[in-house]
Amino acid sequence: MIRFGLARVTCIVALLATFAAADDGNTVRSIRIYPPSIRLDHDADRQSFIVLAAFADGSTRDVTATATIALGDPAIATRTDNVVRARGNGRTELIAEFAGSRARAPLEANTVPPRPVDFAHDVVPIFTKAGCNAGGCHGAARGKDGFHLSLFGYDPDGDHHRLTRELAGRRVNVAAPANSLLIEKAVARIDHTGGKCVEPESSAYETIVRWIERGAPAPARDAPHIAALRVDPPEAVLVGERATQRLVVTARYDDGSDRDVTHLAVFRSNEPHTASVDAAGLVTGGKRGEAFVTAQFGTHTAGASLLVLPEDVAFAWPDEPAGTWIDTRVNEKLRKLRIAPARLAADATFLRRATLDLAGRLPTEAECAAFAADARPDKRARLVDRLLDGDGFVDLWTLKWAELLQIRTTGDTISYKATLGYHRWLRSHIAKNTPIDRWVRELLTATGSTLEDPPANYYRIERDPKKLAENAAQVFFGMRIQCAQCHNHPFDRWTMNDYYGFAGFFAQVGVKRAEDPRGWIVYGRSNGEVPHPVTKRPVAPTFLGGAAPDTKRKDRRAIVATWVTSPENPYFARHVANFVWAHFFGRGIVEPVDDVRVTNPPINAALLDALADRLREHAFDVRALIREICASRAYQRSSVPHADQPRATDYFAQARVRRIRAEVLLDCIGQVTDSRARFRRVPGDARAVEIVDGSYSTHFLTVFGRPERKTVCTCEVKMEPSLSQALHLINGDTVTENIRRGRLVPTLRKRGLTTEAIVDAIYRRTLARAPKPDEWRAIAAAIKGADNADRAIEDVFWALLNAKEFLFNH
Amino acid sequence: MEPNQPSRCAGPSRRAFLQVGAAGVLGLTLDGLLRSRAAFAAEGVGREAAADAVINIFLPGGMAAQETFDPKPLAPLEYRGNARTVKTAIPGVHFANRLSRIARVADKITVIRSMTHGEADHDRGVHNMLTGYRPSPALIYPSIGSVVSHELGGRRHLPPYVCIPNKPHDYAGSGYLSGSHAPFSLGSDPSGRNFKVRDLERPKRVDDARFDRRKSLLEIVNRFFDAREASGELDVLDDFYQQAYGMISSAEAREAFAIDQESKKLRDRYGRNQAGQRMLLARRLVERGVRFVSMTYGSWDMHDNIDRSMRSRLPAFDQAFSTLIADLDSRGMLDRTLVLVTTEFGRTPKINRTGGRDHWPKVFSVVMAGGGTKRGLVYGSSDATSTAPEDDPLTVEDWAATVYHLLGIDPNKRLMAPGDRPVRLVDNGTLRRALLA
Repeated sequence: MIRFGLARVTCIVALLATFAAADDGNTVRSIRIYPPSIRLDHDADRQSFIVLAAFADGSTRDVTATATIALGDPAIATRTDNVVRARGNGRTELIAEFAGSRARAPLEANTVPPRPVDFAHDVVPIFTKAGCNAGGCHGAARGKDGFHLSLFGYDPDGDHHRLTRELAGRRVNVAAPANSLLIEKAVARIDHTGGKCVEPESSAYETIVRWIERGAPAPARDAPHIAALRVDPPEAVLVGERATQRLVVTARYDDGSDRDVTHLAVFRSNEPHTASVDAAGLVTGGKRGEAFVTAQFGTHTAGASLLVLPEDVAFAWPDEPAGTWIDTRVNEKLRKLRIAPARLAADATFLRRATLDLAGRLPTEAECAAFAADARPDKRARLVDRLLDGDGFVDLWTLKWAELLQIRTTGDTISYKATLGYHRWLRSHIAKNTPIDRWVRELLTATGSTLEDPPANYYRIERDPKKLAENAAQVFFGMRIQCAQCHNHPFDRWTMNDYYGFAGFFAQVGVKRAEDPRGWIVYGRSNGEVPHPVTKRPVAPTFLGGAAPDTKRKDRRAIVATWVTSPENPYFARHVANFVWAHFFGRGIVEPVDDVRVTNPPINAALLDALADRLREHAFDVRALIREICASRAYQRSSVPHADQPRATDYFAQARVRRIRAEVLLDCIGQVTDSRARFRRVPGDARAVEIVDGSYSTHFLTVFGRPERKTVCTCEVKMEPSLSQALHLINGDTVTENIRRGRLVPTLRKRGLTTEAIVDAIYRRTLARAPKPDEWRAIAAAIKGADNADRAIEDVFWALLNAKEFLFNH
Repeated sequence: MEPNQPSRCAGPSRRAFLQVGAAGVLGLTLDGLLRSRAAFAAEGVGREAAADAVINIFLPGGMAAQETFDPKPLAPLEYRGNARTVKTAIPGVHFANRLSRIARVADKITVIRSMTHGEADHDRGVHNMLTGYRPSPALIYPSIGSVVSHELGGRRHLPPYVCIPNKPHDYAGSGYLSGSHAPFSLGSDPSGRNFKVRDLERPKRVDDARFDRRKSLLEIVNRFFDAREASGELDVLDDFYQQAYGMISSAEAREAFAIDQESKKLRDRYGRNQAGQRMLLARRLVERGVRFVSMTYGSWDMHDNIDRSMRSRLPAFDQAFSTLIADLDSRGMLDRTLVLVTTEFGRTPKINRTGGRDHWPKVFSVVMAGGGTKRGLVYGSSDATSTAPEDDPLTVEDWAATVYHLLGIDPNKRLMAPGDRPVRLVDNGTLRRALLA
């Protein structure tokens, strides 16, 4: 089968191949064999392979059937179609040739007898493939029709027990294996609610029978475990509907062996309309777009990216500067998708966008004028620097993190005093620009009084170790591991062992009443475990997808905090980078930002990796990363697509038009009307973004989607428009009362301004631009003859505050 | 036909039939009428609307059937719980005795005792029952209310889909459909003393002329932006502005929300509590033209001491729901209004250690009344211990197909999901004719 370490060598071999034209004139750049190296571990071993040709235009084609394929030494292995089998012992090569290009894959074969059929290794995967242990069948919490299997086979020992010991002799018949109830039901020889799941005489059938013939033994203790799963090719670009691509799935085991599990894997496509996949792993192209096809085998899932392009797309990359390292990644993806990006936004648009995103407010009239007059080439970078240093930036990011930390009062358990302290602690770190890894470590290791050591509130707001583990995974990694509390995650890699291993880190936190009735004391305990519901025993604290450190007589939280925030942690920097990116683009590279899983891949993995690496290089200085994001052409692009291009905001080809979030919108209304709303327990001149308590809201904030901070889910922030929002802006007291209270129109009138000048001023305040000449003409006509000129201007003001151009960042 | 009602499926509408029926004088013979009806029937499911509107009474948390519509007095103690029963208006059928008033209108409703699905998690159960679909990791499905809004549209300047008092769950939203079909949430509870739906009235100093001026000014300001920007979200906001203008300008539309215009006596009959006033307002809204009202009442997630929780929850529900059915019937509205009592899932057959019941989706009870359903039917059954359905298990898909059919919506119709992906309203649902009148 495969030796993974050889992948790189093969790539080089493939790249050395000469260029040549395929039959249709499209130039072949290279061809490759997947898997890149092949190992046949025993004399019954087989391995399927594919040959992929990459063309000069970036597309690929599965040429397995048309390529010329040969084995270096036919004494070592034999080939039928795209499958090789062991014949002798030794090494040779598999050689493929197509349109003048050549690729080689090293092949090693051993003719030792295979391991005997094992229940966990061989039989359980058949149940998963056939759907026997799915949630709707015997994998349901209480099984189906009296027979229970663990969901997707997470508990092979339990499954073995139920098959052989529960109702002993009923399900498995060692004397006459083929007459076992298990077999007869599976092939529907007798009545079975699930129908026929396994074909008689198929290899799956043979495997189960052979296992029973051996006496239906329990899973071998020394059986190898899956270490990794890979899907080949990892990336393909299909051209045209109905173009096909075969996939090969290989599992690598911890004993170094590997195995072709294509026939045992369960395939899914996240966009079947773009690329559908059948049970055998054959992908068929559909509508233009990108799909991610995953293969599940055992508790592992791996995926491949399939781009599908229509035939004959006229495409030319626009002539424009290359931009920053961010643009390199964004543009690479756009080129592949054959989408031309938009031009840069005009200065006024950029000023408004950046001020909203970085300071949570609109630019003032003076700022607009100064920015327009500034002729320095680096004025955009200077603006970003200035906004990054302001209080607005601190308040906005305090708000965003306060949501994830659920900073809120609750009845009599979390007092306002504690909440205020917690909020101040967070704000001071954002203000000081403390590297995020540092304050997160401080948070996760917090002990002491919730009044005097504010981060201790983290452990008072949530006390259940399981929930603490779930929240930590979601807030700091963007991962939802909840599913794995009761069963292995069906769409991700997390097993119950992972879940309870991670929860173990949070099992030894104590909370008791403080002397001050408003506070609590959080302290570390030396005992406390979270038992695994299947084994009823605690699982040793284990990092998610990582090692089980020595925690004996050590503070478990200190250990996990160090791991969570370590530069080596594969999830933390990536998630923080994605969370930050999403703020500036209206969508994450993984979206939703807190639903990172194998089956929800990033739409631009190279970009996300680069951002995460950069954040690590900046030693977790988030502001430094934001500065670079704002310097990219990607952030500065117009929201209007490049000529004749489809709107493709998902790939950051244009700026996305985003509604302004509740708190910021309310502040903007206050800002432009010179009138501030007042909030409970907040100083009179405070802005809505500064409200400390998540439990507090106003009608406006609720209607526009302020989160209650009841959960750590970013989905609590609602951005979609609603009828209530329209009604409130039209009739509600926010717009009308702010205009009245601010007295802007009478004030300007008193200064002797004409109607035209007042309208001009209001326009600049709300939209950061002057009215266009024909706009002004239409407005003048509409308010002409009004018996009260100032009231008519207030109506213009009303219209501007109801305008889409005001309500959205663009 | 209503002027703003979008055209639906081809073929004669229900109203056309009524007109034919009322005025056979105009020349259409009975024979001809029958023939066209037969042709209609042959065309299949979801053509002729039996119901104009839906009231969906959604009971969050998962209501136990054992303590309500499907008591098991003969089951062993640990299964039956406190299952004192009461005779209903249907001979031989019993409800739990805390539903004694609903028992008296049992001959007007259909109780389904064999509802079944496989999702024991709250969110997933809610998704099933609000959208008719199992949740998918790849696609958010629209709620049935949003589909009704999409298919039938609004009437008389009222929003087609209203939630009392708020959206019961995110899954009550518009899913992959445009956000324009999201529900209108009242935002306040009709049982509150000063209940009022906010922002329906224009500010005091804004008269007709001024309001028109504001509208035309807004149009001028938006024109410039519209010329360069396009996005689904912007279109949705436009739709909501149009809806809002319609509601604001129509006194009748606004009055639909004025529960204080109902007589004191009737308000008392429904019960001056959340269940009563919400159901009363729901009736008022569908009477005035709202297509789909979704209301919630109480929390039914009774893991501990289910008997005590039921004692506090059921009386108001019993009074309100029985009054709603009687009120709709006496107004002649029941036949054209589909009333649903739905929940997330049922509860475990056995009483647990803390005296409650846990989640159990395998079998539970729901109610359908009016709107073309049978009167006085008990459909399907659960087994002796309420562990599994016994007769006529009703899947979510079949249930949803039947609901759509009653509204004249073809459950096999395909809507476009993102990526030009056609998705059926219901995935392989079959109409259950036994439920139809």
